[in-house]
Amino acid sequence: MARVGVAHIFASFNNIIITVTDLTGAETITRCSGGMVAKSAKDEGTPYTAMKVAQIVAEASLEKGINRVNVKIRGQGGNKAGTPGRGAQAAIRALVRGGMKIGKIEDVTPIPHDGCRKKGGRRGKRV
Amino acid sequence: MAKARSRTAARKIKDKWKAKTWYNILAPSSFDKITIADTLSDNPNKLINRVTEVSLQDLTNDFRKSHIKLFFKINKIEDTNALTQFIGHELTSDYLRRMIRRKRSKIDGVYDVTTIDGAVIRVKPFATTDKRIQNSQRKVVRETMKQTIYNQSKTSTLSEFIQFIIDGKLGSEVYKKCKKLYPVKRVEVNKTQVLKSPTIQIEDKNLKKEEMKEENEKQIEEIPKKTEKKKTVEKKKSDKSDEKTKTKKTSEKKEKVVQKKKDDKEKKVITKKSKATKNPKKK
Repeated sequence: MARVGVAHIFASFNNIIITVTDLTGAETITRCSGGMVAKSAKDEGTPYTAMKVAQIVAEASLEKGINRVNVKIRGQGGNKAGTPGRGAQAAIRALVRGGMKIGKIEDVTPIPHDGCRKKGGRRGKRV
Repeated sequence: MAKARSRTAARKIKDKWKAKTWYNILAPSSFDKITIADTLSDNPNKLINRVTEVSLQDLTNDFRKSHIKLFFKINKIEDTNALTQFIGHELTSDYLRRMIRRKRSKIDGVYDVTTIDGAVIRVKPFATTDKRIQNSQRKVVRETMKQTIYNQSKTSTLSEFIQFIIDGKLGSEVYKKCKKLYPVKRVEVNKTQVLKSPTIQIEDKNLKKEEMKEENEKQIEEIPKKTEKKKTVEKKKSDKSDEKTKTKKTSEKKEKVVQKKKDDKEKKVITKKSKATKNPKKK
């Protein structure tokens, strides 16, 4: 049976979390994150771990009968980075390599209509 | 200990997955009741109030409409089918961002409209232009958008109104009206929300004709049922008159509709009786 799910990919700079749900988003089918794969904390957000995470997710969801996903990709959002992190692309590619079919890809990063003050103070972040 | 606990936890999760069954989610009758999605649950009561998101491309197989997302909420379950109702639509964020640019105007509006079947919908249209336009021009564009939306809502049911918005007819109408003042580039509806679902049932004209045919074929047996239906109609009428919260206009409309229906039914009964009397003679 070919069933469709939704792959919610949350790719920040320091981590990646992939959750596959059904189309309503109410039932989780599988999920995996950078911390479950990477050996050190600094590796959690790298494209390599993203690839591994996506492989695990693809395998598990195929086993449960879902072979097609719509991808909803999301970065940190809010008053932080508005673009998805570097693992995002690698994750989608790995999902395809893992045997999943991709329906639609959408960016669902939460964007404020002007919200809180950004971190860093009056003079900005000093490097 | 930790290992043992994790094992039992794993077993529990597996069992949960096996207990769940799949349900088909059907689109409402205004979208031809196509299966739009499937969801799973161990208990059918948990399905109610779940919301699915479907792009219009999936419903109509028209790839130009892939930027429109429709939202359906599950409200009823029949066996393995979950029936839904339309609760709103939205444009995808990337499509919106493509249209809005620097040194160009974007004219927004938010309107609550009631359709003739008693549904309240919040409509959020917007128009874009080639250049920055003056505030007075913006005001006129906004006013025409408002007028076209209100005029449409006065003559259509919820499903017709949605179709009007989805087909992009609003854009062409507003474009024609605003052309002399300032040629707006694009008018689209960013978002709709159904605040209140329709209270009065108004059937489509085509459906009514079909029903008439069917009923005529059925002949004598249905006559007692008809009288029952009449009673229910009368009850409904009395109920509606009790509600003081509704405005006079809407209540008048409703009464008219109910009366029309009543008249129709009476006519049907009469025709049937005549048919019933005719048929035995033939035999």
